[in-house]
Amino acid sequence: MIIVSDEEDESDSSPFLFLRQPVHDSVLNVNHDYRYLRMGYYVSAHAETYGVEVSPGCTEIMDAYRNPLLIEKAKRNGLPTNGYRLITKSREELCAPAMLFAVNPFTNNSMKIVRSSSKLPEIIKKMSMNARFPVSLHPVSGEVHEIVQMFGESTDDEISEFTGKFYKIFNIPICKLIVQIDDGSVILNHCEPATKKEVEWDVVREKVHELRKLI
Amino acid sequence: MKIACFVEAYNFNDKSERGALSKFRSTAESFGHSFDFIFKDEISKIPEYDALFIRATTDPNNSAYIASRLAEQNGLKVIDDSRSIRTCSNKAILHDLFIRNSIPSPKSMLFTGEENAIDELFDILGTPVIIKTPYTRFSSHVEKAHNREEFIGISKRFLRKSKVVIVQEFIRSDFDWRVGVLQNKILYLCKYCIPEGGWKVRSRINGRNVWGETIAVPRDSISRELKDICTGLSKCVGDGLYGLDVKETKDGYSVIEINDNPSIYDGYEDAIDGDIYEKIIKALAS
Repeated sequence: MIIVSDEEDESDSSPFLFLRQPVHDSVLNVNHDYRYLRMGYYVSAHAETYGVEVSPGCTEIMDAYRNPLLIEKAKRNGLPTNGYRLITKSREELCAPAMLFAVNPFTNNSMKIVRSSSKLPEIIKKMSMNARFPVSLHPVSGEVHEIVQMFGESTDDEISEFTGKFYKIFNIPICKLIVQIDDGSVILNHCEPATKKEVEWDVVREKVHELRKLI
Repeated sequence: MKIACFVEAYNFNDKSERGALSKFRSTAESFGHSFDFIFKDEISKIPEYDALFIRATTDPNNSAYIASRLAEQNGLKVIDDSRSIRTCSNKAILHDLFIRNSIPSPKSMLFTGEENAIDELFDILGTPVIIKTPYTRFSSHVEKAHNREEFIGISKRFLRKSKVVIVQEFIRSDFDWRVGVLQNKILYLCKYCIPEGGWKVRSRINGRNVWGETIAVPRDSISRELKDICTGLSKCVGDGLYGLDVKETKDGYSVIEINDNPSIYDGYEDAIDGDIYEKIIKALAS
């Protein structure tokens, strides 16, 4: 297995070098950002073009990063969610508090929590770029948390069981999860790239080291 | 069978595109299927259908990708499938695919902004060079650079929105072959002509965007070599509906790109082989 990462300690190749070479072995792609058109995505796409196994695959990346696909996959695999509605315009029946995610090409850091129903039309209009892109609307019933997930480990010990399950289902090595904690249970709302600074790279290195020993 | 056709409002702006959509619907109905247009805020209705046909512009960042993937997850027959969208929408990935599968194509290189690589790039590709963003479509974000200065200006602009651009040797031609492929068989054949005074199918001439003429040609007249190249490449992507752009040179054919979700306009791509609607509906219902 080839480990592709910008982190020199544990990597066999940097993403830039990797993309310039043919691939003959399975690949573990370690990156903090797998968004479409970013280097993390290209590494997986390059490996898939050469027909080798890659973790995460491009379908897995897109299933995690596009909000409706994330929620549908979570539901099918028994990971708690509280549903979503895909809208382009405000409707009378929509009510706050709600969490909104722009489902457009600029999905990083695009979450808004709206506490007042009267504010919904204006915010939906803005986030949908005037009905050009859909917005995924989730009800808010608990306390909202942002956590960084690294190979199933979490920056928040209380929810490491949840992040373990998330990693098993979605196979994304590093990401930021937006969740709600409602009456002690964790509900998944969104997945987006973590910034480099948010990642505990010691944890990542340890995990990669463990995986390497298994090869 | 219930067929959903995922569209956006702009798909109904042009009379010829509207005409083609209407032909898809009447063809489906003549076979006893229902055919409903659905829009982005109706995506959640997709599981109610048996098949999904996408006509809205596809890109992994667009709603069409979500529609495609949700349909796959719910077991619908889908044109365009999500893998074809991911592959064809990205010219950097196509560059990789062409190399991997030895597809005859213009000499191309990826450029990520290192200025010390520019001279080598001109040495290999000649002058002028074509610079494209990975997400180019309908000839947009494709420009020509005649020298280092022009190259730096264009590539800097393109690299603001992309980690990588594709640089390609320039091949002059009067037209591109547009080869429609469905389930790895030739569906239609056209010449997409380059407008006079331009160098791509949609060219900027005297400050105006000008499209070249579309000339349909009988699909059975396709040369053996072109047919083999096109079906060989489509098999590398999937078994959906594709439009391949190919240049014919004195040295043979050279594939520029393979597109999922190819344009089908009433009176253009269907002008000779009018059964393309029937074949696509049959593929969706199979």
